[in-house]
Amino acid sequence: MIEVKNLTKRYGDRIAIDTLNFKVKKGEIVGFLGPNGAGKSTTMKIITGQMAPSDGQVWVGGDDVFEKPIEVKKRIGYLPETPPVYMDMYVRDFLTFVAKLKGCESKKIKTSVDLALEKTHLTEVSNRLIQNLSKGFKQRVGIAQALVADPEILILDEPTVGLDPKQVSEIRKLIQALKGHHTVVLSTHILPEVQASCERIIIINQGHIVAEDTLEGLTSRISGSKRVRLRLRKVNGVVDKLNLLNGVTQVNTNGNFMDVDYDGSDQTIESISNLVVSDGAGLLELRPDDVALEDIFIRLTSEGGAR
Amino acid sequence: MKALWTIAWKDFKTLVTSPIFFLTTAICTAIWSFNYLRSVSRFAQMSSLPPQMRQGQELNIHYHLFIDHISLINLIFIFAIPAITMRLISEEKKSGTYGLLLTSPITATSIAGGKFLAGFMVSLVLILVAFVYPLGTRAFTDFSMGPLLASFLGVCLMTGTYVAIGLFASSLSQSQVLSVILGILFNLILWLISQGSQMSDNEILSSVLDYIHVPQQFFSFLKGTINTSSFLFFLSAIGFFVFLTQRVVESSRWR
Repeated sequence: MIEVKNLTKRYGDRIAIDTLNFKVKKGEIVGFLGPNGAGKSTTMKIITGQMAPSDGQVWVGGDDVFEKPIEVKKRIGYLPETPPVYMDMYVRDFLTFVAKLKGCESKKIKTSVDLALEKTHLTEVSNRLIQNLSKGFKQRVGIAQALVADPEILILDEPTVGLDPKQVSEIRKLIQALKGHHTVVLSTHILPEVQASCERIIIINQGHIVAEDTLEGLTSRISGSKRVRLRLRKVNGVVDKLNLLNGVTQVNTNGNFMDVDYDGSDQTIESISNLVVSDGAGLLELRPDDVALEDIFIRLTSEGGAR
Repeated sequence: MKALWTIAWKDFKTLVTSPIFFLTTAICTAIWSFNYLRSVSRFAQMSSLPPQMRQGQELNIHYHLFIDHISLINLIFIFAIPAITMRLISEEKKSGTYGLLLTSPITATSIAGGKFLAGFMVSLVLILVAFVYPLGTRAFTDFSMGPLLASFLGVCLMTGTYVAIGLFASSLSQSQVLSVILGILFNLILWLISQGSQMSDNEILSSVLDYIHVPQQFFSFLKGTINTSSFLFFLSAIGFFVFLTQRVVESSRWR
């Protein structure tokens, strides 16, 4: 659906993105992950056709973005970092305007607008001025304008910025619901975001792709190990025994908490819990540690862009 | 074409309900009313004089009253139109909605054309308000409508040129203040550039400058003549500045 080949963008001497290559298949949800200033937004701007690359090509649905911009733009719904909304318009009027701009048939405009309002839970504020809405609502209006023309591809640049936790989970559910109907490219620097919604992750740093894999693939590829976090009544004595256990690679303690890195097999977890219980250390909690992806991310993006 | 109209209508609604438009209209009507009242009383005074005391002048309501008013309309529009058109594009650039236009399946021509049309429709409202004065005078006296209609056309074309210039000025930056200053500056240059023809030794340059003699082109309409070359002059001026705006919009795709 989207194919990016040798994409490069230079601002004067500074290279924003450097020979990027990746593909996004139809119906896929891809997370575009990177720290601030990694080149995420630049890449999105080039794909959506509002900026030209210094070098390289982009095809969307088989058409070159720069040779057939109108055809390509019909297929894309785009939410930039700041929601592109007119403050002095009413929500419904604004969405109608966008639907017309995107070339919706005039008969379908009202239903498309209603559907977009419904999907983003904006129906009750549809007759309010956008400037009077809270930041979260403005963000949702931004998402609604990307959805309104029912595009094949959705490109969302940090869609949950500024939302409260309830809204964040709603938006994630919404993105999940789009799976299958739309191809989604989601740019973010928030890790749980990609963990919650994406099938495939592209990690970008200083203009280079440093990793491209599924979530599971990434986790196992980097360390080949997983981590569980234990909370015990008494820690003393157990550490040495755990260290001797087959499959355990590393044990770190922090107060009553203990991080245990292991080879990822269920058998090892079983023997860890058996050991702790039989030792009378008082097992209060045992859970897989979600921080693993963050570790990968930090490791990949702090090496100065090395592949 | 549909997209052009979509943009034009949306921007027209936004502009015509904006405080800046109300303020501009208020200031314009205040100045026009004051001046028109004075002109009318002066005209009444003159017409009450016996013919031998009018220094051989034939009294004509169009020449002695309306042209004075229309010249003032034009003078004010040099400053007022850039104030109306300043936000057309610079506001979009500043608030981030410019990206929405650029990522929509529409051409740069639709964007520039739609914005121009919006600015022109708003200005047309202001022009209609300005022409209420001479039309209102018809309630008290009878006069030939021909010269007034020609003047109306002239004002429309002149204002269209100001709108196109203001639009171009607005496309150049994110700042509305800069847009309005540039717009006024360009308008003044347009009015004064013909002065260069007397100073220039180059024959071709001075004949070109003679052609873009805006005061002359404009006053030919005020005198009641619709002359094809002046008509085409204004249309090409409008086309030229809308084209420049289209290039600026288009340039963001390859810059």
